[in-house]
Amino acid sequence: NPAFFRSIFWVLPLLLVLSPVNASSCAMGNTTTEIRVKYENILSHDIDELVHMSAEFRDRCCKNKKQENSKVFFCNDTQEIESLQSMACNMLRFFHKQKINKDFRWKAALVSCGTLQVLQCKCERHKKEK
Amino acid sequence: MLRMTQTRTVLSIFVLFLHTTFGESGCTSADGDGTFGDDEPDNFDIDCFSQLEFKDSYSSLTCNFTELPPHNTNYTLALCTKEDSNYVCFNMEKQEDAYFLQFTDILSNKDICMDSEIKRKVCRSLVVTDIVKPEVPFDVNITYQKEANEYLIHYSTPHSWKKYLKDKLIHQIAYRQEEGTWKTIESPYLQVKLLGKNLENDASYEVKVRSQPNGDYFKGMWSEWSDSKSFRTAREQHSTESYSSMVVVIFSILGFILSVVMIVLIVTFWENRIKPAVWPNLPDHKKTLEQLCKKPKNNFDISFNPESFGYVHIHKVDGIGAKAELENFLQPSTAPETNLPEKFRSGSDLKMIPVKTDKSNLNLSVSYGGIWSAEALHKLLGTSQFAATEGNCGSSTYEVCHSNRVPLCDDGFNLSSTPPMAPSGQPGPQRLNGDTISLPTNEMRSPNNEEAYVTMSSFYKIQ
Repeated sequence: NPAFFRSIFWVLPLLLVLSPVNASSCAMGNTTTEIRVKYENILSHDIDELVHMSAEFRDRCCKNKKQENSKVFFCNDTQEIESLQSMACNMLRFFHKQKINKDFRWKAALVSCGTLQVLQCKCERHKKEK
Repeated sequence: MLRMTQTRTVLSIFVLFLHTTFGESGCTSADGDGTFGDDEPDNFDIDCFSQLEFKDSYSSLTCNFTELPPHNTNYTLALCTKEDSNYVCFNMEKQEDAYFLQFTDILSNKDICMDSEIKRKVCRSLVVTDIVKPEVPFDVNITYQKEANEYLIHYSTPHSWKKYLKDKLIHQIAYRQEEGTWKTIESPYLQVKLLGKNLENDASYEVKVRSQPNGDYFKGMWSEWSDSKSFRTAREQHSTESYSSMVVVIFSILGFILSVVMIVLIVTFWENRIKPAVWPNLPDHKKTLEQLCKKPKNNFDISFNPESFGYVHIHKVDGIGAKAELENFLQPSTAPETNLPEKFRSGSDLKMIPVKTDKSNLNLSVSYGGIWSAEALHKLLGTSQFAATEGNCGSSTYEVCHSNRVPLCDDGFNLSSTPPMAPSGQPGPQRLNGDTISLPTNEMRSPNNEEAYVTMSSFYKIQ
């Protein structure tokens, strides 16, 4: 039926037109001063704890594994917020890795969520872990 | 039939419109998220405070009603967080008269919501970092520092080994005497000092401490008071101070008296003793000569008047021969001279040498450096040969070393003039091998009143 194909054909372009614009997932809520103050008074202490814990569990995590296979999180200049968002969201993926120490996973999740909160960002829906 | 169907459709749409308008559904708030923040506030009086790192990484929130709700009504308090498009709430646990909840996220903005059976859900915004209540300080110690007379108060807080409130607290120290009024001191450090001079001696004091966020980022309220600690002040604080002050006063008085005494002594003895010792006077030649030249004895006749030496036989000394002649000369062949004492000295010393009255002895060539006294001369040569002026020679205390001032007895000899010729071949005044002079004895010159004063310079010329 030619009418059927015509009714279907215009839907796809319409969907493409009506699909939401790929806007940034970070809101422009907090100013730079607010981000810095929250980082200095709260987030920095959590990051220090996470670093100490990672130093303690480093040998366990990286045992019998090559360094090339490890994923590296880069921080791009002039795109600090986006870089931090990417790192936080990627670190959240470790939350369900059972092989990693539970306390470490909880601490990593706390730091990731705190980072996203300070930056007023969110992860993509399929990657975000609550 | 078609008209009835159309009528039912219109009525159903109208009913749905009315239902939506009256808002019997739950999401009728202005926010659209189930909260009533922008709606008119209901009676919602609760006080909440947060405690950071209450247990490990968890923080806590504690709320209680300022006005107790009716007992028959069950209320529910919940802490809600807006995440993405979701509104996540956690119910608080009821503990006696308060509601309690543990959580980890202190960064996000939260709402406290009250829900009851008779009222709709009411929420209010809440910032966890602005209602912080620190934990109670503990281990209050008081140490007395005797040397400084100070009381060191030291205490501890659990936040010293935690991460958020470390070095971000203000501590208040309250102290009082027994049943007195409380006095407070605030300090960001974990110790303070109380000065002993501000406290009563031998009295009992009580101390307690509490903490509060300093307000830089974390704000909140005072913690509960710590356990009180008592101490007793020292007893001998004033006595020690008074003793030391008394010692200082005594030493200062003694120093003042000593300085006054020293000044008086210096002023008194300056001219007589201190100044001559420190700054001796230049020696006066006149006085020096007076000291060097001793005054002769009373019976010691001294004269520079050449006439008084008229009876003196002065001979030259020529070695051994002179000695033999001297011995002959000194033989006591005639008596008168024995009355005269014999004293012999060399040089210019004054001596009384016995002399022979025999004029023939006067022809001896031996000369002596002797001086005869006026009495001896008178005895030997007679007073007629001498025209001595007794007035001038009356004084037995003849000062030899004076010059220019002392009148000399002019016995016929004029020392200032040329030496007189010796009669009958007698040698005139000759210069001996010494400081003595030989004078003629036979011829006596008449006294010269014009030359009564013999000066040292004239004596020097004769030599």
